[in-house]
Amino acid sequence: MAEREGFTAVPKNLQFRVGLLLGLTIMVAAGFVLYALYARGVFEATQRLTLVSDNAEGVSIGMDLTFSGFPIGRVERISLADDGRARIEIEVPKKDAKWLRASSIFTLERGIVGGARIRAFTGNLQDQPLPDGAERVVLRGDATEEIPRMVATLRSVLENVEQMTAADGSIQASLANLRGLSERLAGPHGALGALLGSEEEAKKLLAAIERANTLMASLAGVSRKVEGLVGKTDERLFGQGGILDGTQAAVVQVNAVLGEMRETLKKADQLIAEAQQISGSAKAATTDLAALRAEVEATLRRVSALIEEVNRKWPFQRDTEIRLP
Amino acid sequence: MSSPRAALAWFRAWGRAVLFAFAAAAAALSFSAYTARTRALAVRQVYHGAWPVLPGFTLFIAFLSLVVIQITISVAREFDLAQFALELVFRAVVLELVPLLTALYVALRSGAAINTEVALMQMTGGLDELRTSNIDPYEREFVPRIAAAVISIFALSIVSCTVVMVIAYTVMYGYTPWGFAEYTRTVARVFGPAALAGLIVKCFAFGVVVAVIPIAAGLEATRDAHSVPIAVMGGMVRLFVALALIELLALAVQYV
Repeated sequence: MAEREGFTAVPKNLQFRVGLLLGLTIMVAAGFVLYALYARGVFEATQRLTLVSDNAEGVSIGMDLTFSGFPIGRVERISLADDGRARIEIEVPKKDAKWLRASSIFTLERGIVGGARIRAFTGNLQDQPLPDGAERVVLRGDATEEIPRMVATLRSVLENVEQMTAADGSIQASLANLRGLSERLAGPHGALGALLGSEEEAKKLLAAIERANTLMASLAGVSRKVEGLVGKTDERLFGQGGILDGTQAAVVQVNAVLGEMRETLKKADQLIAEAQQISGSAKAATTDLAALRAEVEATLRRVSALIEEVNRKWPFQRDTEIRLP
Repeated sequence: MSSPRAALAWFRAWGRAVLFAFAAAAAALSFSAYTARTRALAVRQVYHGAWPVLPGFTLFIAFLSLVVIQITISVAREFDLAQFALELVFRAVVLELVPLLTALYVALRSGAAINTEVALMQMTGGLDELRTSNIDPYEREFVPRIAAAVISIFALSIVSCTVVMVIAYTVMYGYTPWGFAEYTRTVARVFGPAALAGLIVKCFAFGVVVAVIPIAAGLEATRDAHSVPIAVMGGMVRLFVALALIELLALAVQYV
């Protein structure tokens, strides 16, 4: 055959080298493809988590979901739902799903530089595990959105500072006052002068304190005297043979006299009644005696009332304790 | 030569290259192309195109990528963007720079050789001899060279990319295994199915044009000895433009 003409067989070592090169290339390529598949989590079980956000700006497929700074999941798909909200679908390997609990919170943050970050926060790791296919609303924080507000706030702060530090501003006035105060503190009457505003006032205050001191001394003397007086009065009133003792004795005597008088009058009454009985029929003759008897009875009542009144007014008889008003 | 005619010639040359590519694809897909002789030539071409240069080229890529990766990562760290450094290295160096440099290197080395060889065959009438003896030059000479160019570019690219990835890990994390998890995550982020498919298609396209354009340009040579350098020059310029276009297209498809 014409094709066979000029055909020289390839040397064995050349064949071997080419085979080695091809084998190595294919092995490395296959190994790399397997590694890439492993890296993409093809060989591990995953569970799905859908985050709902009103804005998925900065989110890209392949982005990490981090927990405590460690990636535990990857964004697989981003879509716009019918309600106009973004749905971020994340694949979380089963071995990392333990960090996500039913109470976990998800945030989407955008920094000034770099892409967005999706983070998970789990307060209670003992909580129920997050179920597969769970759907959560993501909390969004955007540093660039904060900037205009921050600048506005900063400007007003700077204006305030400027006003305060101006030549006629409050800080300057306060500093001037402070200087005057420190000068007075260094003056002859020190802090007192600074407090009262002038040397004269300070002197007056010192004099007033002096006077108050002497007044206090004399008041102490007075109070000592008063104390002595009170002691004596006490003795007079309540001591052995004091005024109150005497009064009590006198009242007891009056009571006894009055009691005796009542007894006497009772006897007289009895006598009169007997006399009435004796005089029996001679009633008419004894009308004077009846009048007399009525008079005696009235007197007796008055005396009784008097005794009761004395008893009421002087409670010594039953209660010997004396209460001073 | 007026400029409209030059432009026309330019278009014709591109048209011939495209036509040749279709013819070569048809020949490669035909069962009759896979003979022991074709295989032997392909093996020789792969050996000469890839084997002797593999250590030197890999070493060159290693040094180059070491410098580029070191700069990228240290600058990223300076700007507090270290978390994006590795991704940038993968996307820029592994997916773009290394395959393009490999293609340019194979084009300079094998492409120029193929171009000159075919032009000389055309000048000396070697191809005409084949045709008169009823041998298809596509099967005998062209398809093995195209296959060899594709295999060479794949082999060199894959070996160099692997070395670059190891260097990237070492520069980023040092000689510790503890960066592996983060490294794996970055690999997962960058080397998705689309990126891997894009890389394979791009390498294949590089390999095809590195052989097809020089052969098509070599066929433009005539019996005149002066036509050989012109054919080689035109072929190499077109090859460079084609490689740049493929790279541009790949970037546009992936990022635009």
